[in-house]
Amino acid sequence: MAVDALNLEVPEGKTVVLVGPSGCGKTTTLRMINRLVEPTQGLILLDGTDVKSRNPAHLRRGIGYVIQQTGLFPHRTVEDNIATVPVLTGWPRKKARERARELLALVGLEPELAKRYPHQLSGGQQQRVGVARALAADPPVLLMDEPFSAVDPVVRAALQDQLLSLQAELRKTIVLVTHDIEEAIKVGDIVALFRPHGTLAQVAPPEQLLAAPADDYVAGFVGFDRGIRRLSFVPTEGLVLDASPILPADATVAKALAVGQPWICVTDADRRPRGWVAAATLAETPGDTPLGQVATEPVGHAFTVGTDSLRAALDAAVLSPAGQAVGVDGDGRVRGVATFDQIRAAIQAADAPAADLRLDQRIPEGPRS
Amino acid sequence: MMWSWIPGNWSLIWHLTWENAKLGVLPALYGLVLSLPLGVIAARWRWFYPPVLTVITILYAVPSLALFIALIPAFGLTDTTVIIALTVFSLCVILPNVVAGLRAVPAPVRQAATAMGYGPLRRLVTVELPLAIPLIIAGLRVGVVSGISLASVGQLIGVSSLGYLFIDGLQRSFPTEIYVGLVLVIVLALVCDLILVAVGRVLTPWAADPRERRTSRAARLVKVAG
Repeated sequence: MAVDALNLEVPEGKTVVLVGPSGCGKTTTLRMINRLVEPTQGLILLDGTDVKSRNPAHLRRGIGYVIQQTGLFPHRTVEDNIATVPVLTGWPRKKARERARELLALVGLEPELAKRYPHQLSGGQQQRVGVARALAADPPVLLMDEPFSAVDPVVRAALQDQLLSLQAELRKTIVLVTHDIEEAIKVGDIVALFRPHGTLAQVAPPEQLLAAPADDYVAGFVGFDRGIRRLSFVPTEGLVLDASPILPADATVAKALAVGQPWICVTDADRRPRGWVAAATLAETPGDTPLGQVATEPVGHAFTVGTDSLRAALDAAVLSPAGQAVGVDGDGRVRGVATFDQIRAAIQAADAPAADLRLDQRIPEGPRS
Repeated sequence: MMWSWIPGNWSLIWHLTWENAKLGVLPALYGLVLSLPLGVIAARWRWFYPPVLTVITILYAVPSLALFIALIPAFGLTDTTVIIALTVFSLCVILPNVVAGLRAVPAPVRQAATAMGYGPLRRLVTVELPLAIPLIIAGLRVGVVSGISLASVGQLIGVSSLGYLFIDGLQRSFPTEIYVGLVLVIVLALVCDLILVAVGRVLTPWAADPRERRTSRAARLVKVAG
């Protein structure tokens, strides 16, 4: 039995990701929704109606479907591929093609591609066409079966970002299947983690999955670095920043030494970071030298306070020669720096609500929004 | 070789060529018409195909002359006899290609079509059969060429074709006739084959020629690199 006693509610307008090892029944579950697979027992309710009570072809025209191998029709142009469902539902071809052009733009493809055949596109472009085709008739529900697994990591990241921005705009009810827990955590509002034989191990928002895995299986599946990855969901607003080691390029070495910090972050006239310099280096430099003339070590990367997560801040600290993360504002101006200790304090502060999440864990299959 | 024989017998040559073309092409078209439903059934219900394939293979092994003779009691010394026999032979080469063409439709394409909301018949007609066209045309080409070649054997039971020139040339020890017949059979087969290639091109604009496919792949590489 591929899927057994599965009880899962998908809230309207949310992305639910089914994730698990191969053979766990996640794809079977997905295909039961549009009746490509018929359940031997149980009910699949869509909008409160049993899908079995509906004509399969009509049901499917209202459910977008995207698969890994794209399944684009090789004998139809890109625009006719996208126009498939509108044409099936009886739109005039001209109107359907106009709609196809709109969708081409929506998924970020050039209008010139409309007249091409699928084999003339790259893998990433084909996958975008697949998404456009699924969206053509504006179905409220979208099923995606490993949609981005066949493309290289760079293209995959771009497609995931696009899905997130599309979803922010369109608010579809999406069920997405993947074996990639990173993808699940990135694109899912809710992650449903399957055990090998079609039962659910945990259903939770991604941050909760990382912070409070239900058991060892879940903890093992999300990976050893889940502690760090969950920081992706912790904002940097609570992070205490220290502005004292920040000095402009026209300040003197003597002034920098007077600050009493082991490392000084030198900024340019616009307060953008130029680099780090160690106090030990400054001690060997004449005191009246402007900091701008002292060789500095690169900052690596800075994090943007407010929009970036603690994970970005921690990463910035790890990569920094000074062991401190440089926080900048939206315009790239330095706001302050954070040490590992300060980052740890922010993590601990964020852990307080995580205790509540753990209690919440006991009702793992209810609707959440 | 007596070149002057050709202009003197122009109307005979033309008549025989036309008859031969008819006897070669019509059976292939009938074979196609029969192969499509059989192929669809065989592609859908797999158990159906092996026995059908066995039967047509046995029929294909029957010498054409023997099949003509077997049909004479029912249809006489007529075009019909030859056309029926050659239809059976063309079925043997076209049906496997129809089945192969339908089976070659990629599973994700078929699945996507179903998931988009195609019913089985509409999916067959608008997705699966169009995608099978290249292989169907390939089968049709073999069927037509072998039909044109086999049609000349019909002359042995008195049905007009370019085979007349072979028999007459042999009986009269007049090789010119034999050469003319041979060249015309080959030219006729080539012309019909070229027509089918052209028809295939028109029907399958998506199956771009290999040259274009290479450039698009190169363009893709450039895009990835850039």
